[in-house]
This record gives sequence, structure tokens and C-alpha cells, in this order.
Amino acid sequence: MIVQRAIEEAGIPTIIIAALPPVVKQQGSPRYVAPRVPMGANAGAPNDKMMQTAILKDTLNALMEFTEFGQNKALPYEYKHA
Amino acid sequence: MQLTTAPGMQSEIFAPTTPPPVWTPVSKPLKDCVVGFATAGGIHLKAQTPFNPAGDFSIREIPSNEPVSAMMVTHGGYDNSDVNKDINAMLPVDRLNELAKEGFIGKVAPTLVGFMGGGGNVEKFRNETGPAIAKILKDEGADICVLTAG
Repeated sequence: MIVQRAIEEAGIPTIIIAALPPVVKQQGSPRYVAPRVPMGANAGAPNDKMMQTAILKDTLNALMEFTEFGQNKALPYEYKHA
Repeated sequence: MQLTTAPGMQSEIFAPTTPPPVWTPVSKPLKDCVVGFATAGGIHLKAQTPFNPAGDFSIREIPSNEPVSAMMVTHGGYDNSDVNKDINAMLPVDRLNELAKEGFIGKVAPTLVGFMGGGGNVEKFRNETGPAIAKILKDEGADICVLTAG
């Protein structure tokens, strides 16, 4: 997305945790991951420390591993509103 | 045969294009990285001026040592219920500090950034908001940055 690209352009590697991966792809995100979550819980279900930690660790690891523009990964965590 | 009578004419059907690649390689391992974080989720300190839900390209600097109880959300573009229950669902400040403590990352940047994504003035976001956030991260020596948005 736009702000992510501006940070990347300034020389800082970035990754976005997206609830809407097709949108961030279209906007030219350099790197993104996508857990199965609704918008507003991108970093994991509220008060679910285990899921939030896992998403953040996987995201940081992906940032280290990705080697090319637009690379992305679906993350194996799911949360949806009841 | 002339194929075009109006040079440069485009289809009336809007066809979005993906912008050109932008890429900065990672330069050090996670355990040595100062990690910045920016969220488009409209998070800010309760003591700060809320975002204008009708459209706002300003930013809020959120110290990473503030408790989540001092934070709130103002964003008209998505269901705020999860963030209202737990700020960490969008700005995982507690998780970041835990990862720094356990040595998974080097440090959390002293200042995290909240802004209100989801539309608004694209030019302002591209030319002002984005670079302003990048400057905060640079000034604090952030090596990498994670975002939540989209």
C-alpha cells in the first residue's frame, strides 16, 4: 500500500499484515502476509496472545526470508466474528 | 488504415495498474533489528486528538512503552469491535515488547505510528504522510517496519 511503499522507498524494508491481500497486492505492496482474519484484527484475534505472537513471529520471519517484490504468504491462523 | 483518431485515448472502463516495484533488502538478522511498527487502523493515544473519520492524513506518534490502556481507535472505515476489545489486534505493542524481551528481535522502536488508512487523499498519503512516517522510523534507527492495513 501507499504508506508501506513510501517507507520502503526511504530505505527501510517493510512487510504488511493484510486482511485484504488482493488490495495490498494491487497497490504494489513489496511484501505481505495474510492470516485469515477480518479487517481490524490483522495482528490476530483480540486477547489471543498465542495467535498474536505467532502471527507477528511469522511476519518477521517472512520479512527476513522474502527475496523479491510482491512476495507473500498466507498464514495458517484463522479468526472470524461469531 | 488509421486506427486511432484521438491519440492517447484510453478505455472508458477504469483499469487500475499496479505501481512499479520498490524494494529495500534486509541488512541484518532479526535479533539485531530495531523494529518499527505503523498501523493504518486509526490507533492513537486517548490523550491525542482523534482522527477525523471522514478523512484524515495526519499521523499520531505512539510511544512503544505506553500501556494499551492509554490507547484507543478512531476509524470510520472498519468494524472497530476487535480493537476496542484489545488494541493488540491491530497494534501489537505488547507482543512487540515481549519479542524484544525474549531476544527474538533486537529492540522495539521508541515511537510507533498510527494513521487512518482506507482512502482519503492519495497524493497526501504518498507525498506527505508516508515520507513523514519514514522519517520518524529513520530518525529512531528502525531497521525494519511491520504494518497492519488492508
